[in-house]
Amino acid sequence: MHIPDGILPAAVSAAGYATAGAATWHSLRQINQKEDPRESIPKASLLTAAFFAASWIHIPVPPTSVHLVLNGLLGAVLGYYAFPAILIGLFFQAVMFQHGGLTSLGVNATMMGVPALLAHFIFRLRNVVGKESRMWTGVFGFLAGAGGLGIAALISLILLVTTIPAHLDVEAERASIYALTLAHAPLMALEGAFTALVVLFLQRVRPELLED
Amino acid sequence: MKWRLILPLALLLALGLTLGLTMTASAHGAKIEYTINMAVEIRATYDTGEPMDGGQVMVYAPDNPSTPWLEGVCDEEGRFVFTPDPSKPGTWDVQVRQAGHGDMVHIPIGEDMAVSGGTGYTSLQIVLMGVCVVWGFVGTALFFSRRRA
Repeated sequence: MHIPDGILPAAVSAAGYATAGAATWHSLRQINQKEDPRESIPKASLLTAAFFAASWIHIPVPPTSVHLVLNGLLGAVLGYYAFPAILIGLFFQAVMFQHGGLTSLGVNATMMGVPALLAHFIFRLRNVVGKESRMWTGVFGFLAGAGGLGIAALISLILLVTTIPAHLDVEAERASIYALTLAHAPLMALEGAFTALVVLFLQRVRPELLED
Repeated sequence: MKWRLILPLALLLALGLTLGLTMTASAHGAKIEYTINMAVEIRATYDTGEPMDGGQVMVYAPDNPSTPWLEGVCDEEGRFVFTPDPSKPGTWDVQVRQAGHGDMVHIPIGEDMAVSGGTGYTSLQIVLMGVCVVWGFVGTALFFSRRRA
């Protein structure tokens, strides 16, 4: 899921920084319009830590293995804080673990952060059907978690397949990209279920944390 | 007069014998030359330790960092062996890529050679750095939540 340095052409990396910059600016503006923008920082900070560490939790999906991403969860619980949270988490993953890279930071932030914001809107649909209902909270939590990851995997697929360098064995590389993307289908179910559990737990103990 | 003729004849004979003997000897001789060729073996794995079986390898010579000097594929163990051209000293870059994942290792060839090297950190370093960063996030959370306490 994390695209490392040296894989994408320079123009795509630059475009990634442009979109990530725009999304960060928009998110920070939305956060600043809140009554107390600092109120949600502890929650955002803890979930950034979870996002940062999650990429070390590998799940074997033969013939490959995938790792947790949790961008859907961050979107559902954090709202607009999710984008800066993911950007910071990705920065530390790139610097510390070489998961992703600094030139591809913008692309990765866009690829995981924009679906996180979409997951936020998916989760907010529960307000339409009644946010007191535990069933609907669970259902929209699942859809947000699975959808956030699914859209990110799709963006990654499109970016990688359209930029395979001509000097590679294009067929072999394309086949392995498709295999890796398909391996994210079981992970979508897993992250959806995990997000549903987290939001149901929060709804029971601290429902005000889901109000963003 | 007699001696004057005999001496050059003897010399000619001696020269002829020597040449003849040398030619005979060289027909039985063997010759071995050697040059030391250095092969570089790389091993590419994912950070789970799983080898990059079938990962595509691109080797870039120091004089042309944009066009691959050699291309190949890793074996089941993620290994790939190549012999760099010794007339091109400098940093050789080897990139391994599979499904949009991969890394590039920089191998100095020439004066500052190292017998082995690699990218990445040891597990202990990673755990320590991970703990530090997570503590940074927890500390931030505690800092911003203290006002309510």
